[in-house]
Amino acid sequence: MKKLGATIHKELLLLWRDKAGLLVLFVMPAVLVVVISLVQENILKIMGETGTRVLFVDLDGQTLGKNIEDKLREAGRLELIKKITAAEIDEQDAIEAINRGDFQFGIIIPEGFTDAIRRRTRQLAYKSLSMENAAFDKNTAIPDLIVYFDPAVRGTFRSAVMNALNSVILVTEVNEKLKVFSEILPQKIQKEIDATLGSFASEGINDTLPELKLDIDGKPLMQVKESSTSRKAFQKTPTSVQQNVPAWALFGIFFIVVPMAGALIKERHDGTLARLLTMPVSHLTLIAGKVAAYVLVCLAQFFLILLIGIFLLPLLGTPQLELGSESTALIIIVLSATLAATGYGILLGTFAKTYEQASMFGPISIVIAAAIGGIMVPIYAMPKMMQKISIFSPLQWGLDAFLDIFVRGGNLVTILPEVISLLLFFTATMIISWVFFFSRIRKGM
Amino acid sequence: MPSLADMNPPANSQNEDLRKGKAGQVLAADGLVKIYRGGEHPALDRCDITIHTGEIFGLLGPNGAGKTTTISILSTLLRPDEGRVTICGIDAVKHPNRVRRFIGLVPQEIALYSSLTARENLLFFGRVYGLGGRRLRKRIHECLEMVGLVDKADQLVATYSGGMKRRANLAAGLLHNPQLLFLDEPTVGIDAQSRNLILEKLIRLKEAGTTMIYSTHYMEEAEQLCTTVAIIDGGRIIAGGSPQELIRRAPGCSSLGELFLSLTGKQLRD
Repeated sequence: MKKLGATIHKELLLLWRDKAGLLVLFVMPAVLVVVISLVQENILKIMGETGTRVLFVDLDGQTLGKNIEDKLREAGRLELIKKITAAEIDEQDAIEAINRGDFQFGIIIPEGFTDAIRRRTRQLAYKSLSMENAAFDKNTAIPDLIVYFDPAVRGTFRSAVMNALNSVILVTEVNEKLKVFSEILPQKIQKEIDATLGSFASEGINDTLPELKLDIDGKPLMQVKESSTSRKAFQKTPTSVQQNVPAWALFGIFFIVVPMAGALIKERHDGTLARLLTMPVSHLTLIAGKVAAYVLVCLAQFFLILLIGIFLLPLLGTPQLELGSESTALIIIVLSATLAATGYGILLGTFAKTYEQASMFGPISIVIAAAIGGIMVPIYAMPKMMQKISIFSPLQWGLDAFLDIFVRGGNLVTILPEVISLLLFFTATMIISWVFFFSRIRKGM
Repeated sequence: MPSLADMNPPANSQNEDLRKGKAGQVLAADGLVKIYRGGEHPALDRCDITIHTGEIFGLLGPNGAGKTTTISILSTLLRPDEGRVTICGIDAVKHPNRVRRFIGLVPQEIALYSSLTARENLLFFGRVYGLGGRRLRKRIHECLEMVGLVDKADQLVATYSGGMKRRANLAAGLLHNPQLLFLDEPTVGIDAQSRNLILEKLIRLKEAGTTMIYSTHYMEEAEQLCTTVAIIDGGRIIAGGSPQELIRRAPGCSSLGELFLSLTGKQLRD
């Protein structure tokens, strides 16, 4: 036990003196969590959770242009900008502002839009009711409602804006049509009654015809309610912080492989390992001391990231990280993930011949495992093939377990498969390292 | 020039020189063979070594001769393919852990953690040897004093000069008072003063009864320090005995250096 304690103390002291290693272990994941959470928070805004700034030019200046503007504002998904400086902008100003990259979208309501729509609606109404009206017997051309967008804008954001606009246009169009029908339909009925009953029709019938008030401006009849499949009811919808903090904390935990592998290689090269191997201490004690020290460091690192999620990120405008009530499950996941990371560190440190090899291969392999594990892009957003590959990433197992607790309201039982996978990964890496290490010793280091 | 046959006594005679019976015997190696995977020749080919208490056994040889392999096997780092090693009466191949408390290793590399101080290094290695408390602190002070590093004990090893690092390296090997100390080129590449101090301390250790196996390329060092030397080449011991006896046996050689070159040749061994 004394020897194990000595090894742990030595490893912690070495890490404490390794400023670059500390930077990788503590500063890098902390910066990543803050930056990525803030960036992703903004992406969610662009995707439509809150207002995306859109230039709005109403060249029509009549009812429908105003209606569309009001409805877009009511929907709250787009923030309409009508002035860049003091003066109202025209179409050319909008195009230039988008070309400069100052705005990503511009909506142009063309001149004469209201008149054209109304004429066309009446034409359709008369035609569908087989009525004749000389004033509306020709098809009226409707000027296009134009949406300008920055070519650099991704398709998903473009479709978010287009969907918002299309739904408003649809409501406006239906409303216009109903208004016209409300006006024309009684005339048509009166005409038909007059034609059928002739002089039998008393004037009183006209007064008893119901007045049609077809209007859909009020609240829609059907509403869609968002609801997550969490096992427990969450008071708030899962935020980017709930997903990013565990994801990047996990990424940071796995970056322990760099200093860990480096320390192993250094010991091998500078002869300290040879000295240790001639001392009355078991290999198991030496390796357990190393693993224990790095697990402690990973726990400290994870704790730091949690503190950032709870205290720092809200100060920067993101929602606060909520840990849920399954603290035991959380500790088990962190321990399993840190063991998997240290196992990989030992594997890398055993196989790599030089520090350069480890410091190149280690981070690259972690970034790849993170990418396929859903740390950077959610797995559901990946192509089918990548989704299948993702199950081989230990980072995916860890992330899935964290999300189970943070987002899906999971518990000890639900995280068990991921925890077992992480522990099996640790065991496998240790066994492979052990076998390779002794085969190398037999060959003379 | 003396022929190799003149200076290289037959194997049996060599063994006679090296074996002096079991009384006071600290180390006995019999028929050591080591063949590395992919190696054309054995790295060690039926080597026999016997070392008695208080001896400094010099292991001399050109690069690639088999010195490091020999030290690795004797210090329990490497298992031989064939042969036996007994240290302090214990079979070192079967029970390496039991032997390790009696041996100390001063590797050719500076086998210390450079980002720790000398004291922190010794504290760690001492604890791994099972020492602790006041006894360990006292022993650390003694070892640092012996190598002249008491004043610099709390300085990071990385900031040490080459000579200071070598001396600290020696201190780490002495920490637990080993009965048998392996020194693999402990004076390579250091200043004259540090080298002199190390040699003086080794003589003091010998007088105190510590047995040493000393590998070096400096023949004058071996001649001055070692009670017995073995010249190894191609994995085999080609000459063995006290330095004076070996020189006496080789006509035309006035020093161990001349004898070494005449036995191993002057061609470069890179």
